[in-house]
Amino acid sequence: MSTRREFMTALAAASALPSLSWADAGSPAFLAAAREPDGTYALFGLDRTGADVLRIPLPDRGHAAAAHPRMPEAVAIARRPGTFAMVIDCATGRLLHRLNAPAGRHLYGHGAFIEEGAVLCTTENDIETGEGRIGLWARDAGYRRIGEIPSGGIGPHEIIALPGDVLAVANGGIRTHPDNGREKQNLDTMHPNLSYVTLAGGVKESVALGPELHKASIRHLAAGDGVVAFAMQWQGPMPDPAPLLGFHRLGGAPVLCAADLTEQIAMDGYAGSVAIAGGRAAITSPRGGRVHIYSLEGDFLATLRRRDVCGIAPDGANFVLTDGMGGIFSTIRTTLRLERRAERAWDNHLVRIGG
Amino acid sequence: MRQALAVLSLCLASPAIAGVDAALEEHVLPEMDRFATATEDLAGVAETDCRAEVLRPAYHDAFDAWLGVSHLRFGPMEEGGRALAIAFWPDNRGMVGRTVARLITDEDPVVQSVRDFAEVSVAGRGLYAMERLLYDPTLAAYGHGDYSCALAVAMARDLARLGRGLARDWQAHARSMETAGDQGNVTYIGPREAAQALYTALVSGLKFTADQRLGLPLGTFDRPRPNLAEARRSGRSLRNVILSLQALEGLATALADRPIPETTAAFARALEVARALEDPVFAGVTDPTGRLEVEILQQRIEALVAPVTNEIGVPLGVSTGFNATDGD
Repeated sequence: MSTRREFMTALAAASALPSLSWADAGSPAFLAAAREPDGTYALFGLDRTGADVLRIPLPDRGHAAAAHPRMPEAVAIARRPGTFAMVIDCATGRLLHRLNAPAGRHLYGHGAFIEEGAVLCTTENDIETGEGRIGLWARDAGYRRIGEIPSGGIGPHEIIALPGDVLAVANGGIRTHPDNGREKQNLDTMHPNLSYVTLAGGVKESVALGPELHKASIRHLAAGDGVVAFAMQWQGPMPDPAPLLGFHRLGGAPVLCAADLTEQIAMDGYAGSVAIAGGRAAITSPRGGRVHIYSLEGDFLATLRRRDVCGIAPDGANFVLTDGMGGIFSTIRTTLRLERRAERAWDNHLVRIGG
Repeated sequence: MRQALAVLSLCLASPAIAGVDAALEEHVLPEMDRFATATEDLAGVAETDCRAEVLRPAYHDAFDAWLGVSHLRFGPMEEGGRALAIAFWPDNRGMVGRTVARLITDEDPVVQSVRDFAEVSVAGRGLYAMERLLYDPTLAAYGHGDYSCALAVAMARDLARLGRGLARDWQAHARSMETAGDQGNVTYIGPREAAQALYTALVSGLKFTADQRLGLPLGTFDRPRPNLAEARRSGRSLRNVILSLQALEGLATALADRPIPETTAAFARALEVARALEDPVFAGVTDPTGRLEVEILQQRIEALVAPVTNEIGVPLGVSTGFNATDGD
């Protein structure tokens, strides 16, 4: 596999330079993109209390960020169907590289590092065929594009790295063409899946739900305690109590979760982000103004209410949440506590740095 | 100087948005009270005489009053699933019909207590469940002593309980909206959050009427769905659209902190088409002419979003949710 060979060459070429660490970037615990009051966009690094420790302007609306596992580097990825990603030195605030999707590709907004941070993986659309791709970029060769592999489905969205450099990819199943913005072209025939992919071996396992849930677009992922939590967005008629959260263990069958009828409907068929912390999983619904917390066995535990809430990340045994009005909250068991409020709209995702 | 600073800091601490107070005092609270009164009246009638033909006028009054508040789907309306317990619609999976049929077939004794009935599935309670009982020809012929009589009383009492709870809880909730951004306000943390909640209700209400109340029966040109029209059994589909527009105009007018001539004109244009439409349950969507009329009404309602954004959202510095409307 030429991709693999090229990548190994690039890795070998990188010398052991003295390097900075996340401590040099003020030790942010989280990264989040936001819209500022003047309408511009930026990426923020936040400490554990939600206070700003770094701010880096972005040219357009961001979506999620990928944090390098060791180096104080973050990749801010454009909102779908954007074509740019920016590699930022979080210690200096400088733009290190601007990545542009190759011709015929656009990004979906998420990325993840593997190979101890040597390779950045981004979810992408092969615009002509609509097939999902994972773009590969060699960090130690200036984030040079070194190839791509199939994502195992259509419309890959969030991608996360599991132990052993296995990638979990949420193939949302929805085909779009950037010429038509976000118009969905295949709702009647969509078949989302959760795929496990390795650089060397390709798709090693693919998990699909039953035909009655083929319109439950699998979009976001979190991993912990040996389980992958996947969050969904219902594309069928609304309102509907379709499940929005599932759990999967490699080799096993997916377990779907739902709250009671009224709470389930109140999520408005939409989970925007998912996280695992303290033996629990939580999904956010900015449309329903709700957070639903479940045990990892799939039992519904609690609802937290906050309008336009979407970003969520683990912090020890609890969760940290962000919303579109600038609020930053922590959860204490099953209650919500305001940490602080900033004059900005936090965008979809809150990314935890390190553990 | 000291006094001037004190005044200034007072302003900063509580930059009350006039439109929020006006919307609460002139729209939200009186309309909640009206719904509470109308459902109380419905329960009173049901306790006196439970028969369908007797209940229908009070039922219509309660439903009319619901349209005054149905767009206010936040705060107390969201607690304990109240909105769905009052109005389980759209019902894509046919749950209302099934749940009501099951209650009747089983003669479920849950109707004997208000507290027990509150535990029944939201699909078997509220205005749409009651519509089956009062208007479905196979169900509506019940008399005194029949199970359905007790069911009608239970549904009406449940609505009255929900209406009372809403009116009561909105009093306290209005206070928290009026003090948005104050220290210690844990619900409305930023000063503009209350205005944003009301504005979101306004825009979502317009979209709901356009996309669901009209969009569902319209379906597609090849497959119109007149049977999906809201409250068609009680002949209320168009009436609900008109009343929802009137309520939304009331909210818009109160919430705006300056004149809104384009919005007012756009509401007038939409209401003019709606009132001229001689199709109470949108049965005409199956023929091209009738369909066009409903489509024009839908377009007039969709055309309200732009002036509402420009004349209300922008001046108030609020928009519908940054993440809620992103969709990714």
